[in-house]
Amino acid sequence: MIGASKRTSAQELAAATFRLREIGIAAALGLAIVFFSIRASHFLTVGNWQNILQNVSIVVVVAVGEMVVVLTRNIDLSVGSIVGLSAYLTAATFVHHHGYPILFVALIAVGIGVGLGLVNGLLVAVGRIPSIIATLATLAIYRGIDVQITGGENITAYQLPNRFLKLASTKPAGVPTLAWIALAVALLGAAVLRWAPWARDFYAIGSNPEAARFAGIPTTRRLITAFVISGGLAGLGGFLFAARFPTVDAVAAKGFELDVITAVVIGGVNVFGGSGSVLGVVLGALFVATIQDGFLLLRISEFWRLFFNGFAIVVAVTLNALLTRRLQDALRRRKADVLEARHREAEA
Amino acid sequence: MRRKKLGLVGIVAGLAVVATLTVALTAGAGTQAGYKIYFLPKTTTIPVFTQNGIGAKLAAKSLGDTVTYNGPTTVSGTAQVPFINAAIQQGFNAIVISTSDPNAVAPALKRAAAKGIKVISYDGDTAPSSRVIFVAPTSNSLIGASQVESIGKQIGYKGQIAILSATPTSPNQNTWIKFMKATLKLPKYKNMQLVTTVYGNDDPTDSAKATQGLIQAYPDLKGIIAPTTVGIQAAAQELQQEGKCGTIKLTGLGLPNDMRKYVKAGCAGAFALWNESDLGYLATQVAHNVLTGKLTGAIGQSFVAGKLGKRTVVVSDGNKPVVVLGPPLVFTPQNIDKYHF
Amino acid sequence: MSQAARRLLARWESILVLAIIGAGIWSTTLSPFFLKRGNLLDLVTPYVFIGLMAFGLTFVVIAGEIDISVVSMLAVSVVCFAQIFDAGVNVWLAGLAALAVATALGLGNGVLVGLLNLPSLAITLGTLAAYGGLAFVVLGGEGVASFPNGYTQIGGGYLWRNQLPVALLVLLGFALLLGLLLHATRFGRYVFTIGSNREAARFSGVPVARIRVSVFALSGLMAGIGGVVYVGYFGSARADAGTGSLLDVVTAVVLGGVDIFGGAGSMLGVLLALILVAELRNGMQLANIAGETQDIVIGALLLAAIVAGNLLRAAQADGALSGRLRPRRREVVEHEAADSALPPSLET
Repeated sequence: MIGASKRTSAQELAAATFRLREIGIAAALGLAIVFFSIRASHFLTVGNWQNILQNVSIVVVVAVGEMVVVLTRNIDLSVGSIVGLSAYLTAATFVHHHGYPILFVALIAVGIGVGLGLVNGLLVAVGRIPSIIATLATLAIYRGIDVQITGGENITAYQLPNRFLKLASTKPAGVPTLAWIALAVALLGAAVLRWAPWARDFYAIGSNPEAARFAGIPTTRRLITAFVISGGLAGLGGFLFAARFPTVDAVAAKGFELDVITAVVIGGVNVFGGSGSVLGVVLGALFVATIQDGFLLLRISEFWRLFFNGFAIVVAVTLNALLTRRLQDALRRRKADVLEARHREAEA
Repeated sequence: MRRKKLGLVGIVAGLAVVATLTVALTAGAGTQAGYKIYFLPKTTTIPVFTQNGIGAKLAAKSLGDTVTYNGPTTVSGTAQVPFINAAIQQGFNAIVISTSDPNAVAPALKRAAAKGIKVISYDGDTAPSSRVIFVAPTSNSLIGASQVESIGKQIGYKGQIAILSATPTSPNQNTWIKFMKATLKLPKYKNMQLVTTVYGNDDPTDSAKATQGLIQAYPDLKGIIAPTTVGIQAAAQELQQEGKCGTIKLTGLGLPNDMRKYVKAGCAGAFALWNESDLGYLATQVAHNVLTGKLTGAIGQSFVAGKLGKRTVVVSDGNKPVVVLGPPLVFTPQNIDKYHF
Repeated sequence: MSQAARRLLARWESILVLAIIGAGIWSTTLSPFFLKRGNLLDLVTPYVFIGLMAFGLTFVVIAGEIDISVVSMLAVSVVCFAQIFDAGVNVWLAGLAALAVATALGLGNGVLVGLLNLPSLAITLGTLAAYGGLAFVVLGGEGVASFPNGYTQIGGGYLWRNQLPVALLVLLGFALLLGLLLHATRFGRYVFTIGSNREAARFSGVPVARIRVSVFALSGLMAGIGGVVYVGYFGSARADAGTGSLLDVVTAVVLGGVDIFGGAGSMLGVLLALILVAELRNGMQLANIAGETQDIVIGALLLAAIVAGNLLRAAQADGALSGRLRPRRREVVEHEAADSALPPSLET
């Protein structure tokens, strides 16, 4: 009897958290849209929204992967370098093998990402290196490898097959192809996190790593998986990046990790791990892209846009932390009430 | 315990292996002969600079000198400083440098000069007090005027245009833009307005984003001038991706190989450049002659620059002393197939 | 070998000294120009600003937190200095103003992390972006470079027959000053205590919040001083100053033997580690190795330093080595704050 009501209230609480975060971001997004619609001409045009969707797609793909890592109370700073390396290798593959099917090259790109992510996972889970340090190091190492491989040569757009470049210019049903791909990745990601039994372990590890280990969760394996997912999706992101920005050089996607992490953090994913949703990440990415676009239309200096990204992270983290603390306190109080009720029952 | 000690030893050994491998795979060997010239481009990742390097090595070979071609992988003046320091430490006789930020490299170049190293600048000039001679690809005023004319002709001399430049601190960019603005004041161009200048930082991704930004922020834009080989190529690709070829006209400075596809597709009209390999060749020739003492930077001195013939040191567009390569090459849809660089 | 000698040898700093000698030998094989006196004396000059940031970061890490926004605080210091000086203010006063701004930024971090107890990684990730953007807002994409000779002496000048770099003296001076602050004052002791066990420190009457805020402010101040030296060395101010130096700063701290989990470390170690990093980079530069390729070596070094630290700590737990290294701690109290509502499926 008591157990049932406890479950309901905790369930309610968790569900409330979920709704509150996503509602918050959705509201912020809505406000931004209203603001720019009024202030900027051409904001509500089809063309403009196609641009926004195009720009947000690659971020979403990589952010879904980053989210998985953050759920486990870790971080992956190397995604920018993975995207850059994967983009270059994608382009290089097409240059040397013009005829390869697109899907095949995409798989190669994902494979590269998986390999690089595996290294990250091993460093963190087996090497016991804190992920901030490990991925800061691999960010530099992977970028260094990228520079070595390119040998100072660009790959220029004209060297790539047209059917590949079309990925970035076609718009089936008025929506850019890249956006469809991002949507598919987001849906797949959400489905896996919701229904795959091993995926729930990510949340558990992030909430309380010690408890997760005691509960029998194979944390080492799960952590490695998380980084592999992040790397693999970053690899796919690199593939898409090469289609969108087909002249690829050694510094492609430098700093991209910041865009990705901004989307994740603004999307309400708890930086201490344990909670977050794909929907939130998508909304977060859209929010950032909308602001960037709006600033552009209002001809606000791009430097303010840089500042805004960072400011948004700080605000999002603060709000999220305060929200979490409120809910924790509420949860603790409920637990205390339940215990008290149990005592009274036992005495009675 | 033994396992942990082994682990430690293993780490040190592994590190040594990584480091040595990295170096073995990347360090360049050098043989010395004649003068040692350090050729330092803005960056090694942009193809035009690779061309400069090829020309430089050709010149060195014919002169009996050695050229070391090296530079940063990003377009940044501060990133060039370690290379200048290395040149000083390694006892080079001359540094030939193209920079995107004259201020950032000035102190280091002064240090080099203090040690007796001759500094010659080309393409992107440094502060005049920190180099002996500047080697210019062509006359700056000519570039400014011809770029404006090129876009004007394409848009019917009427409408909004924008400039897609490289980095805000780049000296050659700023000089060309200055001359472009002066040209726009002429009555012939009175119906054209320059709405903005955006910066692509000589990076393909940034240039593409900057172009997209232009298209979004200025829906009535008629033409883009991109006097940067990275920028014009990125802009052309972006226009094609967004389906704006023909609606927005494009000109600038570009490599024929890069631009051929876009010119044929109508995404870019006539554009210009010069022979980049010859530019590197000329700069090295100048360096050699400065080292032999034939050229001191005085206006009016002349020398024979190998296969390029006789050259004179002049004053050009306020730059001095300068050796100029020649008039720009103009690439059109008709003649572009003749060029392969 | 006597017991005392063995203990001396096993200290982290001794290992670093050996590494410096070893790296010197390696660098000599890379390039004959390495061993010239001019080169050796000038070894550290281009990295002094990195060392100053590392000294400040050391306090933060020993206190159990992290501050990755140091490079952006340096950039803001650089641009504020340039703009204020450009406005006609005396160059020394402008420098002081820049220091004040940087300290204020550090204070901002301190309030968010030290007072509001927000997670330092996420917050400083946000301020890394925000302060970085701020630097561009202040100066734009331009550069300023007309600083009077006396001023550039600080970063780029030489004493004593033009041989001894002023920057080296600046570095050693601050190493000494901050070393004293860390190891010989009550403030320093408090920092160590808080890093070891925050709750215990609080119970012992240590003014925890104030100290935590102070270390972040100190980090900002050191970044500001680094900025001033930076301008002195390069003779020019740009908004992207210091970008890309985070790897070296973190490596200097970690390689210097500072425990990434807090509570242990020495300023001497960080100084030696910085010299080691400078030495390696110098050697590679003389061998004409690209900067990003050098990063591979430095990144690998960073990883190795952490793993070595882990191993040494484990070895010490076996009682085999001496030194101040402590056994690995368990999850500390502050991470309880991270517990968030678990998804309903995990509630029992």
